[in-house]
Amino acid sequence: MIRESDSEHGGAAAVTTHHLTKRYGTDTALDAVDLLVPEGAVYVLIGGNGAGKSTTLKVLMNLERPSSGTAEVFGLDTALRGPEVRAQVGYVPERHNPGYGWMTGGRLLQHIASYYPSWDDAYADHLIRGLDLRASRRVGSLSKGETRRLQLVMALAHRPPLLLLDEPTDGLDPVVRKRTLALLAEHLADTPTTVLITTHHLYEVESLADHVGVLSNGRLIAQMPRDDLQRTVRRYRIEVPDGWEAPSDLRIASERRSRTGREIQCIVVGEERAITERLTLAGARVHEVSSLALEDAALAFLPAEATR
Amino acid sequence: MTQPALHSTPAGRAVLVEQIRAVALALRLPAIAAAVLLGVATLLVIGERVTGGGPVGFATELALIPGLVAALLPVGVWKGEDLFDAAFLWTLPVDRRRHALAKVCAGWVWLMAAVAFFILWFLGLAFFTGGNVLGDQMLRVLPSAIVPGAGPIDPAALQIVQWSPDAFLWVAPFTAATGAYLLASAIALGTRHPLRWIVGIFFGSLLASAIGSAAHIEWLTFGPARLWATLHAGPYGLDALLTARLQSLETLVPLSNGQVVGAWRGLPDVGHWAMATLLWIGVGLMSLWAAASRHRERRRPSRE
Repeated sequence: MIRESDSEHGGAAAVTTHHLTKRYGTDTALDAVDLLVPEGAVYVLIGGNGAGKSTTLKVLMNLERPSSGTAEVFGLDTALRGPEVRAQVGYVPERHNPGYGWMTGGRLLQHIASYYPSWDDAYADHLIRGLDLRASRRVGSLSKGETRRLQLVMALAHRPPLLLLDEPTDGLDPVVRKRTLALLAEHLADTPTTVLITTHHLYEVESLADHVGVLSNGRLIAQMPRDDLQRTVRRYRIEVPDGWEAPSDLRIASERRSRTGREIQCIVVGEERAITERLTLAGARVHEVSSLALEDAALAFLPAEATR
Repeated sequence: MTQPALHSTPAGRAVLVEQIRAVALALRLPAIAAAVLLGVATLLVIGERVTGGGPVGFATELALIPGLVAALLPVGVWKGEDLFDAAFLWTLPVDRRRHALAKVCAGWVWLMAAVAFFILWFLGLAFFTGGNVLGDQMLRVLPSAIVPGAGPIDPAALQIVQWSPDAFLWVAPFTAATGAYLLASAIALGTRHPLRWIVGIFFGSLLASAIGSAAHIEWLTFGPARLWATLHAGPYGLDALLTARLQSLETLVPLSNGQVVGAWRGLPDVGHWAMATLLWIGVGLMSLWAAASRHRERRRPSRE
């Protein structure tokens, strides 16, 4: 796995997992995952369907028991101190089912408030207004997007030190999504919070992300700060002689050849200087090196079939 | 960055109070329906009284109602909770087993209030119609030597006994409801598909009897029926818990003069009722603990 060293993040960790493994029968949902979310970070965990993103969050909430390995939230072992861990967490689950369908949104928020001594009524009202939520409606009659917004209010209004957001923008239309992300940014500015977001669409939360992890088939194949990721994964435009083959030791995520086959645009994982030297040694002429959007850089770690 | 101040978990009392409020909301519709039913029953009784009907008095059928309501109550209490998945309840910062028991406790509080209301309604109805549920009653009692169902009985053989309902009969609806509620809650909380279990056990016992009958195995043929009879009408059976055996002790007997009358095979016994109540509530509490333990916090396997 490609990752920063523990000392690099330079502070305490909000979330750590050690060889976290979760199996369902013969299926392995999580395979020895060593997650490290620094305190104060907005960590985006990406991966395809079934990569293990939601399972990771469920284990952190102690909703699922790991088959082996451990997980800690602010130093609290999730398997031993579940209630205390959940007291620190604002959780938006993958499923659009925020609770009791017969309650109104407002009554559900009142219900939640009694579980969190730190619940901030004024802030909850602010979020309700900001997300244009009709709290007088029954939860069961809310649309998918409205349900998601209600879940976000439930997660944010007690100002938890950790937010676990599982596909938080799922079901939101573009306008509401933008407003939601703005509110989230405002929340992060006002409240010291660590955020762990899972998503299929990194571009949606790109403005917030400062750390990225990539899960593939239950394995955490990369995790690093955003800047490191964008520095490590670059697009190279190279000119090559006829019949040129890329060196096998280079980690090429994608490759596109021109019609003549002599100009290639490829995304390569590794330090720019070392890659440039290696390409030059192999007979290629590097014309241009450019950075990638965060999502494209992160997708470079996923197998090609997962990114199609 | 400084270590963030960790948030505390809610106080147990706050959780219980909120659960009582939330369960009240969940039960609002069934409660309204029950109130409407009682209203209709009140109008019917008053109408009958006005048109010359008798006053409302002691009725054994009414003793069953709290127990039956209690057995159905968990359906309302656990409405909307996907207990065997990532239920909303489990995402809250409370120990899962304790949380489940707090919800059961909240339902019980409302159950006791409903039983008290029902008894007061019944007493009020009796009072306004001129009945006296606390007064002495004249009961026909079958001598122990006579077996009901053996044929017509000489009317002179029936003993007429003066009986006043014991004070414990007014406690019995509360204990009956408690026992039934505990057992039903254990089923609702501990099984993924409660209805399938109930139907499965019913048809399983029928199948066992059928197989026993086909194979001429007497214990298998009659065993399930005997077991059910013991569980229901035995001295410490469910009827002893639910009605202090008022239901199973009263029976219809044909008389030699062609009449069919209600008669009692015995009178309710405080000792049987107390034992049955202790037994069933004990079983209910243990089952409930076991059921709630299925949802306890996910601990790491011991090998870790």
